[in-house]
Amino acid sequence: MHLLAISNDTLFLYYVLSNVIYLALLIVAIVKNVRHSHRLGSQRLELVKASPFTPPITLIVPAHNEERSIVGSVGALLGLEYPSLEVIVVNDGSSDDTMEKLRQAYRLQAARILYIADIATAPLRSIYRSPVDSRLFVLDKEAAGCKADAINAGINAATSPYVCVVDADSILEKESLIRIMAGVFADPGRVIAVGGIVRVLNGSRVVNNQIEEVRLPKSAIEVMQVIEYLRAFLVGREAWAGFNMLPIISGAFGVFQRDLVMQVGGFRTHAVGEDLDLVIRMHRRLHEEHRSYHIDFIPDPTCWTEVPTDLKSLARQRARWHKGLIDTLWPNRDMLFRARYGRVGWLVLPYMWIFEFFAPIIEVVGYSTIILALISGVLSKSFFLQFLLFGYAFATLISIGAVLLEEMTFRRYSDWREVARLLIYCLFEHFPYRQLTMVWRLQGIWQYLRGDLQWRSMKRVGISTDTDA
Amino acid sequence: MESIFKGIEKLGPAGLVLQAILVSLLGIFLLVGFIVLRRWYRARYFRRRNERTVALRSHWDEILSGTISAEEWRFDPLDCNIVESILLDSIEMSSADKLPPLLDCLRVSGLLDMRIYQARTSRGWKQRTALLTLGRTRAVEAIPALAEGLDSRLRETRIAAVRGLGRTARTEAAIPILDRILTGQFDAPERSLKNALVNCCRAHPQVLINYVEHANGPVRELLARVLGELASPELGEELLVLAVDPLPEVRASAARALGNTNTSYGLPALHTLASDPEWFVRLRAVVALGQIENIGKIKILVRALCDVNRHVRQRAAWVLARMEPQLEQILEDVVATRDDYALQSFVSELERSGAIEKIVSTFDGSDYPSEETTLMEVVTKARKQVELTGQAAAFAAGAH
Repeated sequence: MHLLAISNDTLFLYYVLSNVIYLALLIVAIVKNVRHSHRLGSQRLELVKASPFTPPITLIVPAHNEERSIVGSVGALLGLEYPSLEVIVVNDGSSDDTMEKLRQAYRLQAARILYIADIATAPLRSIYRSPVDSRLFVLDKEAAGCKADAINAGINAATSPYVCVVDADSILEKESLIRIMAGVFADPGRVIAVGGIVRVLNGSRVVNNQIEEVRLPKSAIEVMQVIEYLRAFLVGREAWAGFNMLPIISGAFGVFQRDLVMQVGGFRTHAVGEDLDLVIRMHRRLHEEHRSYHIDFIPDPTCWTEVPTDLKSLARQRARWHKGLIDTLWPNRDMLFRARYGRVGWLVLPYMWIFEFFAPIIEVVGYSTIILALISGVLSKSFFLQFLLFGYAFATLISIGAVLLEEMTFRRYSDWREVARLLIYCLFEHFPYRQLTMVWRLQGIWQYLRGDLQWRSMKRVGISTDTDA
Repeated sequence: MESIFKGIEKLGPAGLVLQAILVSLLGIFLLVGFIVLRRWYRARYFRRRNERTVALRSHWDEILSGTISAEEWRFDPLDCNIVESILLDSIEMSSADKLPPLLDCLRVSGLLDMRIYQARTSRGWKQRTALLTLGRTRAVEAIPALAEGLDSRLRETRIAAVRGLGRTARTEAAIPILDRILTGQFDAPERSLKNALVNCCRAHPQVLINYVEHANGPVRELLARVLGELASPELGEELLVLAVDPLPEVRASAARALGNTNTSYGLPALHTLASDPEWFVRLRAVVALGQIENIGKIKILVRALCDVNRHVRQRAAWVLARMEPQLEQILEDVVATRDDYALQSFVSELERSGAIEKIVSTFDGSDYPSEETTLMEVVTKARKQVELTGQAAAFAAGAH
């Protein structure tokens, strides 16, 4: 009985603390987002484009079995508005027609271009250039079974001081590169990496590889992910970046100083969450070198990405994300509570251990002990129901807060019916969707402990692109 | 030990959790209400704004000429905002000869005075908006108010003032910025400063020379970098002085400037800079040589192709590979260096630019005199070598 009481108390404190932290993050994010919107009002992108001081950038597109979307994605990337752009597609040993589709669409020709593997990668088969667009290069390499290896090959071949990693199944908005680089321009000496927002592409209308109309997806499971992405990016990342503690820049869209990435040895091959791993290693190195730096998040440069449409794929993705989390936290456990790693070691890493990694375990233990306490009479039924209702209402409040942030700033969902749908789904996100993600994250922990780090393929619909007549 | 749950339970039905539920529910209703209200308000505002824009546009000539008195629109905040937006957009798109009537309208209506007043007396976003708006007016009387903004203790306001001054694109607007950065105490992002100075000094880059002479350290580097972008042939010998500056960044900027002037007198200086002890100065000199149209640069570039630094070699190769009419001669010169790295870099760039096929077809079409046959063999060997180097590097460095 005594143990049950302690367990319930711990759970109660844990729950209140996690919600209070998220509420604080929401408030910080609102302030930061509103400030950013003000700044945007005075930003003239055409001046940035015309400036002779705008540095060149290399887009790296790792592609593994992306035959459905690769041609459209590359077309969209080449159409981005940026004065000095290079696009490197890395075909990571695709077993489908990815390479063939690229070869046909861009009339690729083999080119013997010097490639020096400063970062170790699987062997290259060939390098191709396109006579259709001289900014495009395709590296055809043997598969290493991980995305990180493909990105590293792209970094080796890149010729610009900044590299931007983009998923092949994603669409960047035309001005997104200029906008994300605005974060670098703010203080090029200190800003070493910038992340942009990743939004859910499913449901939207795409014409000529550009988003024509932003719409919510039809199915509930996809809409839930829209809310999750809004909360994770507009609240979580925005707030952490405000204190220079951003622990992750999404692998789907982020800009890095190329030299620094090379100094830290590139993306860790076979890391499950290579994006999280890289950013934490950058924090580590820069703290160890006592360098003044900033890793920023800019909420307006947008990357649209396809999210899983079925439960099985979603489960795999979430399990993988959680494996990636452990895979990064464990090797960096020595950073915890060490003065030399500053607030990263004292705040963000402990937060990730307690409120991200342990969350599904604590949740499942919590559910069990509360039920036990309820059965054994330690906890009254009325209080249990009240606590459940409070938890639900508070979590829903945070989700609605994320929708509010979207409304106050970028308003991508212009139709009021879409916003109404988003708000309604906020009410269902915490039951039963949250419990499902808890199970998937537990599966991730189990797979990691068993040493199962396999990248399981996900079912993808592919970007369906209309073409203007 | 008494459980926290028990303690809370003692509060009874109106206890903490119940209150928390109510607060959370209230929060949800407030947020949803705010979203709905905001949507409704914005829809109404933009509908009204659209209507007023159409109405004002239909009388635009009268508004501009003053036939419709400013009093008729000036005191309605929405109308005032619309007219100002149209005026500022027109100013930005106008050539110098079409500017006077637009500026007259700003002055006569009192809009310019209002913005100057706001820039001087407001704080926060209002002040920053006023500063940026003043910059867009390109009016000379806006400069003193913008210059005052440079002395704000808030960094954001100083940045707005720098950007505002830059947007005026007037040489006199550069002076307050230059005066302040010369002190070495002025804190604003380097990029904003450089962009503003480039915009302001474009017509008269000479104004920078005096400041570069008196500046030291990072300020000297920054000004030299701006000068590097704006250099014109008239600057002539002043740039040659910078080419022997003790600061490597300044020498690099001098190289950039000499490239931008595209004059033959820059060649000897770039020759010297291409042998500079600092690799990035050599790199910059090579880039500048790419901009100069003088056949004499080939020898310097071929020498740079044998540089110890990979970036310098690659850039020299990039420039050489794009000198189409002289490619065969260059190839001979490169082969004559007997430097395999140089040859590989050059062949790699020829591949990248697509010129390799032309060279190969030229050799194919010839009657195979012995020299060309040898050259063809060397190229073929270098192409193979480039391929092998890439693979070998991947294998050697790889853990796979």
